[in-house]
This record gives sequence, structure tokens and C-alpha cells, in this order.
Amino acid sequence: MMLRPLDDMRGFIRKTAYVLLAAMVSLLAYLTYIQLYSAKDLAENSLNRRNMAAAQKIKPGLIFDRNGEVLADSRKTKDGFQRQYPYGAIMAPVIGYSSLQRGSTGLESAWAQQLLGLDNPLSQLGPVGTLWQTGAGNNLVLNIDAALQQAAYEALGSRKGAVVAFNPKTGAILALVSRPSFSPASLDDNWTAVSNDPNSPLLNRATQGLYPPGSIIKVLVAEAALREKKADLNTLFECSGDLFIPPDYHLTEDKKRAHGKINLAEALTVSCNVTFGTLALELGGRTMQETFRRYGFEKELGAGFSTERSHLPDFTALGRGDLAQTGIGQGELLVTPLRMAMLAGVFANDGVMMLPRLVNRIETADGQILRSFAPEIWLKPVESEQARQIRKMMVQVVEEGTGASARFGGVKVAGKTGTAENAQGQPHAWFIGFAPADNPQIAIAVIVENGGGGGSVAAPIARRIMSMAIQ
Amino acid sequence: MALKRGCERGLLAAALLVLLNGFAVACLASGKSLPQIMQSALVIATIAVSAHAVLTLRKSRGDQLFLPIAVCLSGFGLTMLLRLKPELFQAQVVWCSLGLAVFTVMALLPGRWFLKMSLFKYSWGVLTIGLVMATALFGVDIGGHRSWIILGPLRLQPSEIAKLTLVMFMAAYLCERHVVLAQTDRKLFGISVPQLRYLAPLLAVWGMTLLMVVAQVDLGTALLFFSITLAMLYMASGRKIYVIAGIALFLLGVVVCYYGYYHIRTRVDIWLNPWADPNGRGYQIVQSLFALAAGGLFGKGLGLGRPELIPEVHTDFIFAAIAEELGVAGSMAVFLLYLLLIVRAFRVALRGRDSFRMLAAAGFATALALQVLLIVGGISKFLPLTGITLPFVSYGGSSMVANYALLGLLTAMGEEGESS
Repeated sequence: MMLRPLDDMRGFIRKTAYVLLAAMVSLLAYLTYIQLYSAKDLAENSLNRRNMAAAQKIKPGLIFDRNGEVLADSRKTKDGFQRQYPYGAIMAPVIGYSSLQRGSTGLESAWAQQLLGLDNPLSQLGPVGTLWQTGAGNNLVLNIDAALQQAAYEALGSRKGAVVAFNPKTGAILALVSRPSFSPASLDDNWTAVSNDPNSPLLNRATQGLYPPGSIIKVLVAEAALREKKADLNTLFECSGDLFIPPDYHLTEDKKRAHGKINLAEALTVSCNVTFGTLALELGGRTMQETFRRYGFEKELGAGFSTERSHLPDFTALGRGDLAQTGIGQGELLVTPLRMAMLAGVFANDGVMMLPRLVNRIETADGQILRSFAPEIWLKPVESEQARQIRKMMVQVVEEGTGASARFGGVKVAGKTGTAENAQGQPHAWFIGFAPADNPQIAIAVIVENGGGGGSVAAPIARRIMSMAIQ
Repeated sequence: MALKRGCERGLLAAALLVLLNGFAVACLASGKSLPQIMQSALVIATIAVSAHAVLTLRKSRGDQLFLPIAVCLSGFGLTMLLRLKPELFQAQVVWCSLGLAVFTVMALLPGRWFLKMSLFKYSWGVLTIGLVMATALFGVDIGGHRSWIILGPLRLQPSEIAKLTLVMFMAAYLCERHVVLAQTDRKLFGISVPQLRYLAPLLAVWGMTLLMVVAQVDLGTALLFFSITLAMLYMASGRKIYVIAGIALFLLGVVVCYYGYYHIRTRVDIWLNPWADPNGRGYQIVQSLFALAAGGLFGKGLGLGRPELIPEVHTDFIFAAIAEELGVAGSMAVFLLYLLLIVRAFRVALRGRDSFRMLAAAGFATALALQVLLIVGGISKFLPLTGITLPFVSYGGSSMVANYALLGLLTAMGEEGESS
């Protein structure tokens, strides 16, 4: 038996060494990647309690509304700072909460670094950077109007639902209401009850609640029909109260009432299902898909607060019955109230969709402006001429049609109602609109879950909020 | 000038400076009494310098980098411990001093002793099995795995010693048998396999590691032992079939355990997606990732981060604490010290005069590399988390002493190699 020479063994040892060292070098590269590249995401993660822990030493900045009303304050306690929320549940969906035990949500989470003044580039200098750290973080000034927010919160009453109101010309969000809400101050004590509540008070329905849009989506279908020349202002549709789609599908009007011969504006005014079901079929799956894409429904908003993306079906794969359904906002289509307010905003702002913004500016503790956020165009989904045509129709909806309850003294209001069928029971009541129609100051989306008719339930709520915002 | 160990002297001075500086900063940051802590620093410095002096006087020709690197790493570990768990600091100083003493004794073992050691191969084997069995039978559960034996006031982790005896056993067994292992005796399904009795150590270690997993829930050590065995079998025989067969056996074990043991399934699930349950089972690893990310380039500064948000940060997760408070600069420094240490350990193996010393040194080098890979990989989600100590840095007496002994043996094994 011949002994294997030691040189052979040296070769094997060397190979093993190379493999192990290569593994170590890859690990080192991966570590550096985590420490430097993914660091920002991890630092901003709402589960990361370092921000809350820093709040024990640094006084987190205040949050103000547009008129200087205090929405969040910090009170010194023996082991740090305790957040105070003067508006409690009313503002909770916007501001969120910050708790050492539960992490943070809302603006408290998304803007934690700014509120603590930790986004300073000098903090990269490590221990030396702490020398520049001040004892107080930066303040946020919001676009929210606290009085309007409170009025909207009260207008919803004890019903479940959401309101989004913003200035369609600037994107400034004036009110963002979600009910039921929770009391952020006592959240730590009531956590189990709040987090297990079947009504999901922690869900921000305004930006994250997904609902079938129902008839409010008809403004978008009407715009697509004009754009694709499937109809013009004079085209007449014949509504017999029942659209039969072979082999066995019937799309019907409420109580099978026939609207007779109507044009597009009249169809929108009476919210004719047969007309818009027919238009969806004539536009076809591909164009419907393209239309939703044009309005950004598939795109992340990236607006500095968390939003849920809409759920769109694959329109091209839909059967004719299901496709007709999407024309009246039913079927697999799910959207958020925020996106519906933005849809109204497009027609209010001559076809330009502004990026909705909650935060107006960041200021230092002594009021010096660090950064302010100018209005930003997000999308231009439609020509201004066509936007004005749709706006005219929406005015007609309020003046003569289903949106009559949104009317208020001397101001021209534009809108569209929706009554969205859903699996949970009573239909959801929707209203989207804006006012004054000639020079819009506010665009709005209101939803009342299982509230019933959009015209009778949601439109009066929108009226209260819009009239308050304008007067 | 190798005889005078000038390189070791200079580097040791630098390492002690790191240690002293670390202690002083941790002390000032936490408001501890400086003189008391400096006393501890002095104790370690004295023993380390004595170790160097003894090696110089006895004209040791062992590698000069081992002592300074180990002292520097211990300096990092003790500094972090002083900052994280000051109540454990003094105990760890004692363990570190003891480790340095053991290092010196081991480093001075005469070369001819290794020949004798290689003859007692079954003694090493029996010792290894004995240590593992003792733990399985009398082990006490501390922090999720039953790997401790309590002797009066002492808590010992016999598997740390078993790590050394396992390498000695494998080296002794293989330096004689590697001839046979490398030969192909018969064909099975077209694949040549050696006789079963030569596969005995592989199967024995496999059984032993299964026992560890089942009786002690000590995944990390089981994986470490099994990987060391595989690597040593390959290095002795050059036959990849052992590695492949070993990995197959390992995967078989994992699959069986995944379905049979809740504990293993949890570990795998957490590794795949800790964010699925970030406040429950994934808590530790998620907090560790936050700590790694918090440091940036230069760290938050000693005492200014929040690594204490990670449970058990002073043992398994101490590297995450270093990364947070000392940043990429600190964690990379520590990691590069390990790289250097492992390169030098393999250098001893490659320069070994006889197959026993080559294999033993290579086994020790492999053990060091695997420990670092498993725990640093584990806390950063690179690999599934298996509780194992970071050599010279984590809190833990047995680990400290065993790793110093390991370095001492490497120093002694490098002895004759350098003269050639």
C-alpha cells in the first residue's frame, strides 16, 4: 500500500481553505450591503424601535395643521417624552401613533426621522455626528385643515367610512377621515381590544380601504368613450332597463326602470347602467385596461404616506358579462377613496392630476423652514378640453340628477354618486365631486360602508364638508 | 529576527492599546469606576505580555500573529460586554486570563508530543463521545439549548472542549487511514465506495450530531461538528464523494427534523422570512438586522446605540452590537481579524511536517472559519440562525478557554514548520 504523498493533501487543504475564505468574503460583502445599502429601509421600518428610543432623549417635533393648530405634541416624562394628540381619534388615521411597545404608524412612522431630526447627513459621521444633534426634532406643518377634518369626522357620524378632501389645484390634502378610529393616547392600554376589533379601527380606510367603486367610475368610462370616439355629446343610447349579454347575462337598471333614448350626459346624470355597460363592451378589455393605467391605478403613489394599490382585474381576460360590470364599477374592481378623490380632482383641474400631499413643510423647533414641498404634477391622464366636457356632465349630475343632495346655496357643484353592490350586505354609498365647479377649491370622495344610496347618504355628507371648506 | 518574536511584541502592544482604549471609552460612557476596570485591563495585559515573554524565552517558532489577534478580538468582546452586561465583565476577564494561560501551556507543547497524541486516536474519540454523552445526559437548559453542565459554581459547555478533541480524533484517525480512504475498493451503482468500516467515523459523527440535535437542541454545535468532520475527510482523502454523501445525510436529517421537530421548522421558517412574524418568532433576527443597519459607516458610538433591544445580545448576537455601535468600520475590522487568523491557521496546516499536524491544524482552521461563518451568517440572515459563540468575542468561559487552547495548539504545531 503506497502512502499518498503529503503534497496531495496540501492541495486538498488549500482547496478547502479557498472555499472557506471565499465563503467568508461573500459574507463580508453581504454584511456591508446590509449595513450600508439596506440600512435606510431598515431604519425607517415601523417595527424598528430605535426611533422611538431616540424619542426618549430627543424631543420629537410637533405636528401642526395648516392654521397652526397643534395636532401632536410631546410632553416630558421621567423616562423620555410622551406623545400627546389633542385631536385624538379624529386625527389618528393621519398622524398614526408612536409607542415604544407597538412601534409607529401613519406620519409618526413615515416621518419619524424628520420629527427626530435624525435625517441630518451629519449623523453618518457616527459618534462625532451626535455632537451636532440638538435636543429637539423638527416640526411638521401639514396641509390638513383641522376644523374641516373634525367636521368631516362628525359628518360621517357613527357610520363606517372615509372622507378624502383635497385641493385639486395643489394636491394639498385638507381632510383625511376614516371611521371607526381609535384613541392613540390610550392605545398601549387597549391594544388587544383595538387590534382585535372586527371593525378594524387601525385600518386607514381613506388610503388603504379597498372598495368596489360602483357608479362613480362612470365618469372615467365616459371620458374613455369620448376619447376613443365611441360616443360624442350627441350620440343617443337606447336604455330598455335591461342589457342582455348572451348567453345568459343581464345587466339591469335599478328596479328595471327604462331610461329610453338618452345621450352621454343624460346617461351620467341618471347613472344609466345599460349605457355604461354597453360602453365598456364597445371599448373592449384592452382599452379599459389602458384607461385605468392612464389614470395611474396600477402605479404606486409615493406620496410619503402608506397607500394601498387598487385591485384591477385582467380586463383582457374578462368575459363580456364581467367586462360590462367593470363599466359600472362592479366586479373584481377595487379602489381606495383616495384614488377616487384624485379621479374627481382630474376633472376639477383641467385634466391634471396633482400628487396628493399631507405635509406642507418641515420647520426647525424655532420655526425656521428646512424644506417645503411645492405642488407636484403626478399625471396628465386626459386633455383639458375633454376634462371640461366631463366636468360639465358632473355639474349636470348635481343640478338635475342623482347628486342633487350635494347642492348648496349659490355655488355650482360637480359630482357623481355611486351605490356599490358588495358581498358584505347593504351597498356602499359613494360620492365624488368638487366645488365651485368653475374654480374648484376642493375635490372630495366620500364613502359610507353599507350606507345605502350614494345620492341619499354620501352626497349630503360631501355637501356639508364642501360648503364648510368654501365658506 | 523570528526568534525574538518582535512582530508579536509590536502587534501585541497595538492589540492591548485597542483593549485599553475600548475599556476606557466603555467605562466613561457608562459612568463606571475607571480604576477598577483599568485593574482588569492590567491583569489581562500582564498575562498576555507574560505569554509573549515565555514564548520568547522558550524560543518558540510558532506563528506570531495568533496571540495579538486573539487579544485584540478579546478586547473587542470585553469592551462590548462592559457596555452591554457589565455584571458579567469580571467573570469574563477571569476566563480570558485563564484562556491566555492555557494558550501559553499549549503553545509550548514539544513537537514530539504530537506523535504520541496521534497514537491515542481512540482515546480522543472516546473522550469526544463521552463529553457529548455527558451533556446529553446531565445537560441543563440555558437559553433554549441543553448544552451546559453545572459543576458547583461553574457552568461549562463540554461541547467547546469536544470541538478540540473531535479535531484531534479525526486527525489521528485520518493520518493513518487517509491512504485507505482515498482508495476505491468496490463499485456500487457505478460509483466507487470505500469499505464501510472506513466510513465509520463519518457515520459515528453523524449519529453524534443527531443526538445533539435531538437531546440538546443544539443545532449550531451539531452543524459545526458535522461540517468539521466532512471537511477533514475531504482534506485527508481528496474525495468529494464524502462531502456529497455528507451533505446528503445532512439534508436527510434536516428534512426529517423539519417535519418531526417544531424547533427546527421554526428556525428554517424564520430564516426564510423573519418578517412573517416580526414580533414573535422572528423577533431576534429582525432586531439584529435593525442593529446592523443602525450603525452606518462609523457606528453610533460606544454606548450610544440600542443593541440591547436584541435578546441575548452579549452571546450569540454580539457581532450585531459591534456593527451598530462601531459601524462598518468596526465590524469589518473584527471580520478582517478573523480572516487573517484563519489564513494564518491554514498556513500552519500547509507547512505541517507530518500528516497528523497538517490535518489537525487544518481541522482547527476549519473550525474557526465555520464558527465565524455560522454565527455572523446567522445573525445577518445569510444563513439560518444556529446558536454558536463568536470565538474570543462572545460571552462564555468554555468557548473562550477552548478557543485559546486551539490557538495554543496551532502555535505549537507551527513550531517546526517555520524552521524548514
